[in-house]
Amino acid sequence: MFKEFFLKELIPGLKSPMVWIFFGLFGLLAGAAVASDSVQIGGTIGNIHKNSPDVITTFVLVLSIFGLLIATAFFNNAALRDVNNGFSEIMFSLPIKKSGYFWGRFLGALILSTIPFLGIFLGVIIGSTLAPIFDWVDAERFGGYEVSYFLNNYLLFIVPNMFIGGSIIFFLAHKWKSTIVSFVGALVIIIFYIVSGNLLSDIESQDLAALVDVFGIRTNSVATQYWTPVEKNTLAPAFEGLILYNRLIWVGIALVISAISYHLFSFTVKKSKPKKKEEEAVEKSQRLEVERVRTWKGSFEKGLGWKQFVSFYRINTESILKNNVFKILFLFSVILLFVELLQGYEYYGLQSYPLTYKISSSISDSTSIFILIITVFFSGELVWRDRINNIHEVINATPHNSFSALAAKALSLITASSLLYFFFIIMGIIAQLMQGFTKIELDVYFLDFALSNLPNYIAFSALFIFIQTVMTNRYIGYFLSILILFVWDILLGVLDASSNMLDFAGAPFLQYSDMNGFGPGLTGSLWFNIYWILFGFILLYSAGIFWPRSVVSGFKERIKVARGALDKTTFVPFIGLIGVWILVAGFVFYNTQVLNPYLSGDEREELSAEYEKQLKKYDGIPQPKVTDLKINIDIYPNERDVAVNAKLKLVNKTDVAIDSLHFNMDESWETSIAISNSKLVYNDDYLDYQIYQLEKALQPGESIEIELENKYITNGFPNGTGNTSIINNGTFLNSFGVLPGMGYNNGIELSDKYTRKKYDLKPKKRMPELEDSCGENCMVNYLSAGAADWVTMETVISTSSDQIAIAPGSLVKDWTEGDRSYFNYKVDEPSQLFLMFMSARYEVAREKYNGIDIEIYYDKKHDYNIDKMVDATRRSIAYYEKNFGKYYHKQARIIEFPRYATFAQAFPGTMPYSEAFGFIIDLEDETENNVIDAVIAHEMAHQWWAHQEVSANMQGGTMLTESFSEYSSLMVMKNDLNDDMRMTDFLKYDYQRYLRGRSGESQNELPLYKVENQQYIHYGKGSVVLYSLQDYIGEDKVNLALKSFLEEFRYKEPPYPTSNDFLRHLDPHVPDSMKYLVDDLFKKITLYDYRMKEASLKMQGEQYEVTMTFEARKMYADTMGIETSAQLHEWVDVGVFADEDREDLIAYKRIYVDEENMEYTMYVDRKPLKAAIDPRRVVIERIIKDNVLTIKEE
Amino acid sequence: MAKLVITDLSKTYPNGVKALDNINLEISNGMFGLLGPNGAGKSSLMRTIATLQEADSGSIMLNDIDVEKEPRKLRQALGYLPQEFGVYPNITAYGLLDHVAVLKGITSGSERKEMITYLLNKVNLFDKRNKKVKSFSGGMKQRVGIAQALIGSPQLIIVDEPTAGSDPGERNRFHNLLADVGEDVVVILSTHIVDDVRELCNNMAIMNNGRLVYTGSPITVIDELRGQVWRKAIEREQLQSHMDNYRVISNKMVAGKPQIHVLSEINPGEGFVSIEPNLEDVFFNKIHFSETTNV
Repeated sequence: MFKEFFLKELIPGLKSPMVWIFFGLFGLLAGAAVASDSVQIGGTIGNIHKNSPDVITTFVLVLSIFGLLIATAFFNNAALRDVNNGFSEIMFSLPIKKSGYFWGRFLGALILSTIPFLGIFLGVIIGSTLAPIFDWVDAERFGGYEVSYFLNNYLLFIVPNMFIGGSIIFFLAHKWKSTIVSFVGALVIIIFYIVSGNLLSDIESQDLAALVDVFGIRTNSVATQYWTPVEKNTLAPAFEGLILYNRLIWVGIALVISAISYHLFSFTVKKSKPKKKEEEAVEKSQRLEVERVRTWKGSFEKGLGWKQFVSFYRINTESILKNNVFKILFLFSVILLFVELLQGYEYYGLQSYPLTYKISSSISDSTSIFILIITVFFSGELVWRDRINNIHEVINATPHNSFSALAAKALSLITASSLLYFFFIIMGIIAQLMQGFTKIELDVYFLDFALSNLPNYIAFSALFIFIQTVMTNRYIGYFLSILILFVWDILLGVLDASSNMLDFAGAPFLQYSDMNGFGPGLTGSLWFNIYWILFGFILLYSAGIFWPRSVVSGFKERIKVARGALDKTTFVPFIGLIGVWILVAGFVFYNTQVLNPYLSGDEREELSAEYEKQLKKYDGIPQPKVTDLKINIDIYPNERDVAVNAKLKLVNKTDVAIDSLHFNMDESWETSIAISNSKLVYNDDYLDYQIYQLEKALQPGESIEIELENKYITNGFPNGTGNTSIINNGTFLNSFGVLPGMGYNNGIELSDKYTRKKYDLKPKKRMPELEDSCGENCMVNYLSAGAADWVTMETVISTSSDQIAIAPGSLVKDWTEGDRSYFNYKVDEPSQLFLMFMSARYEVAREKYNGIDIEIYYDKKHDYNIDKMVDATRRSIAYYEKNFGKYYHKQARIIEFPRYATFAQAFPGTMPYSEAFGFIIDLEDETENNVIDAVIAHEMAHQWWAHQEVSANMQGGTMLTESFSEYSSLMVMKNDLNDDMRMTDFLKYDYQRYLRGRSGESQNELPLYKVENQQYIHYGKGSVVLYSLQDYIGEDKVNLALKSFLEEFRYKEPPYPTSNDFLRHLDPHVPDSMKYLVDDLFKKITLYDYRMKEASLKMQGEQYEVTMTFEARKMYADTMGIETSAQLHEWVDVGVFADEDREDLIAYKRIYVDEENMEYTMYVDRKPLKAAIDPRRVVIERIIKDNVLTIKEE
Repeated sequence: MAKLVITDLSKTYPNGVKALDNINLEISNGMFGLLGPNGAGKSSLMRTIATLQEADSGSIMLNDIDVEKEPRKLRQALGYLPQEFGVYPNITAYGLLDHVAVLKGITSGSERKEMITYLLNKVNLFDKRNKKVKSFSGGMKQRVGIAQALIGSPQLIIVDEPTAGSDPGERNRFHNLLADVGEDVVVILSTHIVDDVRELCNNMAIMNNGRLVYTGSPITVIDELRGQVWRKAIEREQLQSHMDNYRVISNKMVAGKPQIHVLSEINPGEGFVSIEPNLEDVFFNKIHFSETTNV
């Protein structure tokens, strides 16, 4: 019996096209992702093979979500086929066994629903075979296969996921006998997945998040988060750890659900709920009457159309709002948004204030998918409603205009979406108020809706209605709608077409900033919106023409009817509409393609390749260096124009004569360079490169003055958001943007080795190798890339009179001329050629400390943390002056800039700081991490590490600036908090940054002292390593080393220092017993693996005796992540905590460890609860959970 | 006075079926019955008149309105109850009529209210006005259907198979309602039930295979057959031989025995009894022998 039903389910299923369509679709997606770089699922980088087991797992997991919908179809079908065919009464009266029927169908559906996933495997194999043959992707980027890559995925993810989803769907289908309920069930599962993930997104709860993930997606990413590229290339998901537990939990749950639904299932056919039948009215027998039926004359004058439109609109809108699908989707989106709002905006475990723009973008992010689903679903519902309900003939036979009927449908759809959105806004406002936040900006909510959401609703409603009208079947319409949503973007990507004029409903991205409103993309966005809304109207109008007002049979008749619908009264407006659209399109085209041309991704690549091929010969040719800069810069915030006049003094610091000057221009600036006694001998507009030949060569030591004019003029609007540096309020330019570069710029070269190969370029070294005794290569620092050493600089900067303009240096004088304000700044100390120019309407907070002006320039909306910022600046200066030496500027400025970028950056004495973090973070809870302290202390530290000394442009360079600044900032925090465990709590983010970063390395991981500007190394690992170093040898010792290093190189002409120079200064401060540590920390990639195996407690008089057994191992990794075990000769901490949360560290002891398994006994006065190895986390370990154990009492 | 003139109307579906085959018809005001078996092309004709389907050739004029060229004008004068009258879920009787009333040009709110109240009373559904139509019984739904067809001042009312499946009481009420419709309105009643036409119509047409096989008054057509229809109760075994030997118009079971009606100008003898022809005889006669009947 079982076999019968199983095969009856399976075989017709295998013969149906649906399985194979999805099989093909999955295969195509996976194959395309493997065999090209334009289709991405999850995405792979650098050293990870395009067909690695990690990639295969990612495909399987990502597609699990879609797979669930397919499974829903299969399971729902298996459960309801007989019921839907009206066959159930016959079937269930036959002598069949329940178990065979139930499980046979269930397993049949289960097998069927796993088949599409096999397409992934096939796609990967075919893709990885074809791609190297046809040279789509380099052969090096593919690895081999093992059975486990496929089998483990099938057994761990595919089958369990389909089983889990299937058991729920099967249950729902049997219980409610409704396809809609089944799909809603699938949706609930997906939403559960999203919500549980959002709720548990902090590092602290990541294990829990991994366990509750119903698909195992997060489980896999947590389990593999620290995997190195080698591991990702060779390891299949394993039947162990988190993944195994997760699978056991969920399969268990699914078994219970299946058992319950089997138990509840019965062959007795559920009676359809007796409909509440209207009582038949007691009929008075209808007699013939003398009076004939009265009539009312209709008025078919003008104005009727409007009233009909309103009536259509009303009943359509009501029908959406009363629809259960709408209600369910509404409920889910509310839950999702609620969770999102509850969770707040995290950064280093901190919350930002619930600013309106943040809430507003949360609303868009978390609910737009629902609104899209609603638009797709109800476009079909509205278009087919009359026909489904069999009232179409009555309606069609009334004297109304089809166009107005369709317009009403579109408007109803838009209304339903908008009503939802308004509801979400109200939720957002409530969330703000509940958090005690009262600066609610209704205008921001509304404008964000009107600019970024409403136009989409209009365009998509029109598109879907058009599709549904033209299609002859509702489900084909749905399919096509969804296809367009997903495939269109991919297609544009493949075609390298980035114009928003092709991307349906595309418009420049608008990012609201408290400083700069909707920003530079606003004009473009408005025009693109008009363009797409008009296009929507055209689609709607076309739908009106094709509207099946009468019964049509066949395509020919359709065309005939459509032609009939185009009479004089409809044709003229239609042509008019198209005409207006063409005019707008022309205007948009003129602005975005002619006035503001841009390069597509491929074109930019070609340009880089061409630049290198043509000009590489000039790489490293001697050029004079800037020694003095006088710059005039006029900012016009309203026009978004900038005019620059700069006078540079160049000195030939080489020992050869220089006969030509090379310049790199910026395509978006108009530059003219005046060099006396020279002529322009090379000028390439495409590569933006100019060479001036000097009549008389510049001899070593000689200098020359040049003057240049540089203009940035904003014309019309571009395809994208546009320039976010030159804006109405918050202009932020730096000297690289404002001055042309000198000499060949190898930063323009392509870096990815496979892209380079495509253009026949050899792989490129990321950076010059670290040299011990440094010659030529140490004459160039990484900050100014050879353009200058220490430069005297003066700026005259002007802006509109309502703004303050800032450049580095002391303000010499300021004045007003007409409606413009002028400021003259002079840098007090010769500094790196690294300037920034800013202008905005600022409030200023000032404080004098130790002869230094501390100034915070901020937007008046952001006064929350200003005192804390001043305080942080003061405390950093105090620590650094005490430990590293004098501060050389007369001012320390923090300047807010709009959130188009999220960073802070240090220029001489002046530090721009993004409004996106810091200014809006809620720091009222003093026990939490103070990220402002961290960031400000870091930037202040750069005034020493980058601005007093700057490293040579080679491996290890950023250690001397970024890592030192991180370290300095940690020390400020450490001295402030005086609490090891809170430091540990902060440092966990650095550990994660490093460990995750190395997992995503695209080329080679290098030891810290050879870091190649890799952020996860110089920030993440740098913090951890230097913190560890000071913990082992002492803060004062590290500071002494830093100080003596700085003293050697402070404001010194080249050669510039390298990381080896620092290690040389460090060496005398390291005791012999710790020398190994310096090597492990700086020169090697060292990982530890500690494990507490047993811990027991005994009273020994007044004291507690804790005996611990633990395991310790040390590994060295190579640059690809391959580990080899290393000899132990370590100093390791062991300690005990009094509390569960590990905040109260009773005592710890540093002990010498030279064996893998060790035992140690310690005595403490208070009763300990937990024993830990490396309790304060000062070494790098991938798994730290097993470091702690609850102590057993004997 | 209203008049509907159909000239040379033809329609062939892409699958080759001739739904309308050169139809010519003139209908003046009053109740007009269009009789025909299922699939005869009645609904195609009704839909074509109601602007819901396009013909391949031919024309339809209501008074001076050319239906093909000015469908909007025809719709302004049309009341239409299609064969299958469905309703939206979640809409009340009042709400539905209100919507249709607006579509039919009754724009004044107060007028609309007065009219819907009147019509709902007329079809005896006023107490149910705020109930969902979806929950109504078939007969009640049909009454909502006729109420919506009567909205405004239609010059042409088309009702397609209105009584199919209703019980005798419903049918009766429905007939009386139709009979109340104004005199100067063209009412076309399409049906396959002979009694509907006999009771209501003074003019009729019979359709079969897309063609009109008879047009005229029911009385005349019955007269034509007077004296030619004979009845006989037979045994089941005799059925085939009778079918072969006589022009059998119809056979049906009466009291458990086959009873046949045959057409014959002379007395066939052999136990046949002459009977007064009824419309049903005419109908079956026209349909079975339409090839040989001149129109």
